[in-house]
Amino acid sequence: MKVAWEINQGVGELILSAPPSNSLTLSFFHQFGEVIREAEKSKQLKAMIIRGKGRHFSSGADLNELLPAIKNDILLTHYQDFNTLSRSNIPIIASISGVCLGAAFELALCCHFRICTPDAVFGMPETTFNLIPAIGGIEKLLKIAGKANAMKLLLGGNTFSADDALSLGVVDKIVSKGEINTFVHNLAVSIPTPYHAWAKRFYLNKFIRQYHLND
Amino acid sequence: MEQDQLVTFEIIGSIGILTLDAPPGNYLPVPAFIPPELFSEWTADETLKGLIIHGSGRNFSAGADLAAMLNPAIRPELSKPLLRQGHQLLSSIEDLDMPVIAAINGVCFGGGLEIALACHIRIASEKSLFAFPEINRNLIPGLGGTFRLPALTTRAHAITTILGGDIINAHDAYSMGIVDQVTPSDSFKFALELMEKITRDKPVKVIRYAMRALNNAGKINPEKAALIESEMFCELASDEVARRKITGEHL
Repeated sequence: MKVAWEINQGVGELILSAPPSNSLTLSFFHQFGEVIREAEKSKQLKAMIIRGKGRHFSSGADLNELLPAIKNDILLTHYQDFNTLSRSNIPIIASISGVCLGAAFELALCCHFRICTPDAVFGMPETTFNLIPAIGGIEKLLKIAGKANAMKLLLGGNTFSADDALSLGVVDKIVSKGEINTFVHNLAVSIPTPYHAWAKRFYLNKFIRQYHLND
Repeated sequence: MEQDQLVTFEIIGSIGILTLDAPPGNYLPVPAFIPPELFSEWTADETLKGLIIHGSGRNFSAGADLAAMLNPAIRPELSKPLLRQGHQLLSSIEDLDMPVIAAINGVCFGGGLEIALACHIRIASEKSLFAFPEINRNLIPGLGGTFRLPALTTRAHAITTILGGDIINAHDAYSMGIVDQVTPSDSFKFALELMEKITRDKPVKVIRYAMRALNNAGKINPEKAALIESEMFCELASDEVARRKITGEHL
């Protein structure tokens, strides 16, 4: 899996590149960590967009590869990298179409904004594989959706739709496939640096009002 | 057999059912409405996948027996250690590493509501009613209602509920976030169904570890939570690798 990383006019695009499933391999986590460290140091980076190549965001971690190889210290490094992302002072936007499951869902949860297409499918199926999410997803989901919903999703392991994600607050807006790339790019550019998480609603609502006026 | 033992316990499938059994009101005679040793004993069962708490008969619980509590024969100083026991019991419920669902029918007032708030999920029948009536006797909720309620709903709602002392119906409770699901009839059936849906086919260890991670999140120091979560994951991963070697499964 290749993590494509490109900065255009201050907006960095991180693309999970191993279509169609964009499985998160050990190599992904390694490359991801490097991109995050590079991005932290960059002075020109104003915003980051994370998306998958092709139809899907990502089906999650490649368990065949990951399970035999995973160790505590490796896992904690991944956790730190995801955490660094969520504490970033530039806006991080996940642009999601198709499936977004497991570790990929945890990655999306670490982003500041989640914008998806109507066909997007989310899920935390780890317990159905006798595992638990371990890179910060539980904590993030708890904060967003509350304990009862987090419990149902975590223990149930079922997938859920874009509409459900919107009602739960897991996703901030649903945008059509044709418009999502422009929407996400313009949103990224509209948010001032440094990004303040407490102003998230404000930035999003302001952008949506302007975006629809100029339509 | 303890006189005044309010709660009975049985296991259906791998689900523990805790019944507040003094109908019709299911009043709580003491704050620690389950003797702590009994609660530890019941929940130590390593085959248990979850707990449902409900009331016998038409109601969940009308709360503490306030008349007994305000009895001048019982000196107020004595109730502090009792309250502390009650708090610990509710914390144990809240921190339990298996899902705890409150199945609420009828009346859920005061201490009864505080028990429900300590549970992880609250399922209530359409006709159920909620209230903190303590204020009407110049008291306050004394078993965690004052911090568990604002954690679930807005502070404005928490204040109007506790200071107002009014009765709230199930639908309003749902809109306020106090209740997670409203059912057309007996909530127990739905609670059991939900519990089965989220625990069926899952090994007990996975449920325990998932709940531990969930309970730790936002409660203990994040670095410590991450460490514990990582260790649990790695343990489950190596269990799973071993299991697949035996079954020959591949993803």
